[in-house]
Amino acid sequence: MDILQVKNLTKKFAIKNEKDFVAVNNISLSLKEGEILGLLGPNGAGKTTTIQMLLGVLTPTKGEIFYFGKNLKDHREEILEQVNFSSTYTNLPWRLTVRENMVYLSYLYNVKNREKRLKKIADTFHLNNLLDMQIRELSAGQLTRVNLAKAFLNFPRVLLLDEPTASLDPDVAEYIRKFLINEQRQFKTSIVFTSHNMAEVEQVCDRVIFISKGKIVADDTPENLAKTIEICHVELIVKDGLKRTIEYCQKHGYQYKLSGRNIVVDVKEKEIAEFLRGLMDKGVFYDGISIEKPSLEDYFLQNL
Amino acid sequence: MKINRIYAIVLKIMYFFTHSYDRLADAFYWPIMDLLLWGLTSTYFKNSAVGGSKIIMIVVSGILLWIIVWRGQYEITVNLLDDLWDRNLINIFASPLKFSEWISAFIVVGLIKAALSLVFATGVAYLLYKTNLYVLGFNLIPFIFLLILTGWWAGFFIAGVILRFGSKVQTFAWGMIYLISPFSAIYYPIATLPGWAQKISLIVPTSYVFEGAREVINKGILDYKKLLISLVLNIFYLILALIFLRKSFDKVLDKGLVKVF
Repeated sequence: MDILQVKNLTKKFAIKNEKDFVAVNNISLSLKEGEILGLLGPNGAGKTTTIQMLLGVLTPTKGEIFYFGKNLKDHREEILEQVNFSSTYTNLPWRLTVRENMVYLSYLYNVKNREKRLKKIADTFHLNNLLDMQIRELSAGQLTRVNLAKAFLNFPRVLLLDEPTASLDPDVAEYIRKFLINEQRQFKTSIVFTSHNMAEVEQVCDRVIFISKGKIVADDTPENLAKTIEICHVELIVKDGLKRTIEYCQKHGYQYKLSGRNIVVDVKEKEIAEFLRGLMDKGVFYDGISIEKPSLEDYFLQNL
Repeated sequence: MKINRIYAIVLKIMYFFTHSYDRLADAFYWPIMDLLLWGLTSTYFKNSAVGGSKIIMIVVSGILLWIIVWRGQYEITVNLLDDLWDRNLINIFASPLKFSEWISAFIVVGLIKAALSLVFATGVAYLLYKTNLYVLGFNLIPFIFLLILTGWWAGFFIAGVILRFGSKVQTFAWGMIYLISPFSAIYYPIATLPGWAQKISLIVPTSYVFEGAREVINKGILDYKKLLISLVLNIFYLILALIFLRKSFDKVLDKGLVKVF
């Protein structure tokens, strides 16, 4: 069942004495119950504009948004009680404490069993020692955790997360990613997720939509998108014959990156055997080899 | 409208109030300063026989009643500014909160704080000058009601201006209400104003209230006609201000709430 449906969404911004700027151009997408959808694209592609329209804080020029089969325009309050978000472009009131923010937001979203929920959220996001601190006293990482806690406060059925792990330490980011996956499995929470960390998107998202210049240019699973890229990264730790390796790459038009005795060569998957045989013929010896298959990042770099 | 959502916004503002020395100063410090400055000035006038025996009562009641207008307007505009400065508008409007609930919360907070400031300032006025606003008796009820209406429409209008132009016009939040104060005849009768100013005061609803309050103090008579004119003007301006605010909000939604700061 589609829990979110977007039909022909367009947003144009008027610019004085110039043609309208089309930030989002006639996009249609859907999100299934319990699905994590990655929304990716370069800066200025239209991701944030799309998320703002999905949250109802930006009026679309054209198009419609349906949550749970109901139009956002006509059922705003009912829908937004079941939706939440976390974003890097908003702040919580900075003079209020974390606890005060959570309390007032729990009333705003009409959270049932308020005390119990606040305790659970504080435990989950390790906020117990931050509850009586004002927002302005928090570090960037702590603030990100508080924003995420806010996003989960009302048991949302749909969650819009704009770079949710930005500014987090790697271990905390990993904890959050696992938490998101767990929430998705346990409560069938549907999540729209933006990030510049492609490895994270591959780990978390069931499906990815690439947006470029306001248009959807790809919509598939991370694996299928990566498969469209033929190039693998072959990394060699060269023991003897580094110069000959470089000459070989140059002669056959292979792109490479050099770091000390390590060389990473971009080779089509089906040509890897031939490439390695060629090096052997040149008398190149290596201590180590690793072959990295194409990733979402490769897709991103090649297509956008 | 849902009470829990209005309560949420009221709670947020009251939390902020307790953490903010400048808001506490606004609620208590400035009313005292006004009372000291103008109360002592009117004491001088009374003693030098320039003013009448009721001059202190007239000036002090003017200060106290003006607090109602000022706080009603101030709470709407400054609380909007707080959300702008905090970049919190998206958090609020990506929630189920309705525009009308947001406005209602500001009205509730305005009423609470106006009552707080008024009671406090009335007590101070009694201690300093032995003047008692409550001698106006039940006449205070329509006066306060009409002044609150003025505070609201002024607040909604200024909030609309701030939404359209952002915090670069934030000074209006504190100062714009004073545009009507010279024509409100807070401390002096309308008849003492120059002709052009008297014409302007005809369309300022507060002028009828302060003029009416002075008549009650001086003659013990309440002119209902003045109250009615003030009510009609207030309702007219309130409708215009709400339409303007709603249109400003729609305009902001068209640009994106993220761009308002």
